[in-house]
Amino acid sequence: MTNVNATTLIVGSGIAGIHAAETLRAKGYGGRIVLADRDSSLPYDRPPLSKEFMLGEVSEDEIALKTEEYLQELGIELWLGEEVVSVDSKKQSAVLSNGKTLEWDKLLLATGSGLRKLPVKGSELNGIYYLKTLADANAIKEKLKNIEQVAVVGAGFIGAELASTFKKLGKEVTIIEWSPLPLAHILGDEMGEYFLKLHQSEGIRTIMGDSVTEFKGDGEVEEIVTGQGKSIPCQAVIIGVGVMPNTQILNEELDIERGYIVNEFGETSLPNIYAAGDCSMWPFLGKHISIEHWDHAMNHGQNVATNILEENSTPYEAVPYFWSDQYEKRLQYFGNSKNWNRTLIRGDKDEGEFSYFYLDENNVIEAALLVNQPRNAISVRRLIKQQKPVDLNLLSDSNVKLKKCVADA
Amino acid sequence: MNSKNIQSETEEYTFVAASASLEDEDMIEVLVGKETLLIARTNGNVHAVDGICSHAYAELVDGELEDHCLYCPLHFAAFDIRDGSVLEGPADTPLSVYEVFEQDGSIWVKV
Ligand SMILES: Cc1cc2nc3c(=O)[nH]c(=O)nc-3n(C[C@H](O)[C@H](O)[C@H](O)COP(=O)(O)OP(=O)(O)OC[C@H]3O[C@@H](n4cnc5c(N)ncnc54)[C@H](O)[C@@H]3O)c2cc1C
Repeated sequence: MTNVNATTLIVGSGIAGIHAAETLRAKGYGGRIVLADRDSSLPYDRPPLSKEFMLGEVSEDEIALKTEEYLQELGIELWLGEEVVSVDSKKQSAVLSNGKTLEWDKLLLATGSGLRKLPVKGSELNGIYYLKTLADANAIKEKLKNIEQVAVVGAGFIGAELASTFKKLGKEVTIIEWSPLPLAHILGDEMGEYFLKLHQSEGIRTIMGDSVTEFKGDGEVEEIVTGQGKSIPCQAVIIGVGVMPNTQILNEELDIERGYIVNEFGETSLPNIYAAGDCSMWPFLGKHISIEHWDHAMNHGQNVATNILEENSTPYEAVPYFWSDQYEKRLQYFGNSKNWNRTLIRGDKDEGEFSYFYLDENNVIEAALLVNQPRNAISVRRLIKQQKPVDLNLLSDSNVKLKKCVADA
Repeated sequence: MNSKNIQSETEEYTFVAASASLEDEDMIEVLVGKETLLIARTNGNVHAVDGICSHAYAELVDGELEDHCLYCPLHFAAFDIRDGSVLEGPADTPLSVYEVFEQDGSIWVKV
């Protein structure tokens, strides 16, 4: 046991925070660990909120991340319903919403992200929801019991998953999306078309390239009016128009772009203050990127905890990854690519399973999207990690093993 | 996959595959009754474990086997194929392990 007199304060008991706390103990940290969260629910997993939990296939117990007893055994103090309202970086102390002050030796900001709001006329009506927390999910589930028509604003990952879930629950679903194609800003136009058709083939009404200008109703929402003058009757609206990292704490003092800027060890611009998960921006292949997804939050939380304990010893090198389940499709995306030089498909879109690659000018794979091809996941992740040029003919041939696709030097 | 039962004195085993169809490092998925199982051969020995990851729904046959280490293709949890134990998270529940034996060119499991 080390650091017995030290205190580590972790703000946020989401995926990053909880894995960080667990890792500190697993690696022999003997000091005090305080895990504070303004949410009063026991730590739970978010991805099922739009999928299995919303469908009623799993219960609250089944999406719990860790039990209270387990955390107690590890000597992790879970302070629920307590928001960290301010931090003094010089005195190394934090003030909580209940007025308590806590002195810390190391601070880990794992504050996650908040939802972008859609401030249009009628937003105050009942029946308009955002989905981030268990409480949000329960409120939506309750509402869905008595209604037929649901509108989803935003066709990003959460919007698409919700449309799929609501359809499975037998609802009449409309998606309204501001850009002409869903997910095209991340996956490109060809995949945007693919996912648009997927929604349509599942019987979803899709309104693309249009935006919400007003919610109408008498107390309860009854109708959406769009910029192009369409009117969509609905008894519930769920808005998923993107997230923004939570960077309120030390906002003036720390370097912040989209999230808290951290180095490869997860340390912010001030010593002894670290950040992990959705709220941070970290260096990947020479560029600072922000990844607001589960797998990264877990790995980053674990890695940063190691660096808190072992003096910045272990650079973070995970290949970014996320998955999403929509209708009968499982999407898995590896890497990070914004300005790819070309794309390449392996397999046949019409067959319902394929891999889609995003390559740079040297034919190095920057990112890949797998649709119903989990068997390629580990090989693709390895190829991206290697950062070596691939042979395009081989890569496009599904009969050639992925590891054989690296071009001869 | 076809399966036929043999009744030994007290225990019931199900035929799951011909030995020749499972080379070293190979994995196959079989359905025995309602259970989805993963049958794998590593270092010459055949093992049978749950076919679905204990963490979230994913078929482990789509993962990777390296020596005795089995990786899930969804969140990359790792299990020891010999005893089902968790080697790396995010899983925290081990996989169930099933009795398996190989005789006269056939692989049999007990569920
Ligand atoms: C409905 C839904 C579905 C998703 N599905 C997927 C998916 O399929 N695949 C995928 O890869 N990702 C998915 N995600 C994203 C994934 O869940 C997040 O990336 C992940 O939760 C990020 O973890 P985190 O620990 O960084 O932040 P969070 O999980 O957001 O946790 C941050 C915590 O910090 C707390 N907090 C913030 N500020 C304070 C403060 N000042 N004081 C105290 N506490 C504070 C918050 O209450 C929160 O509990 C989904 C997210 C949602 C909402």
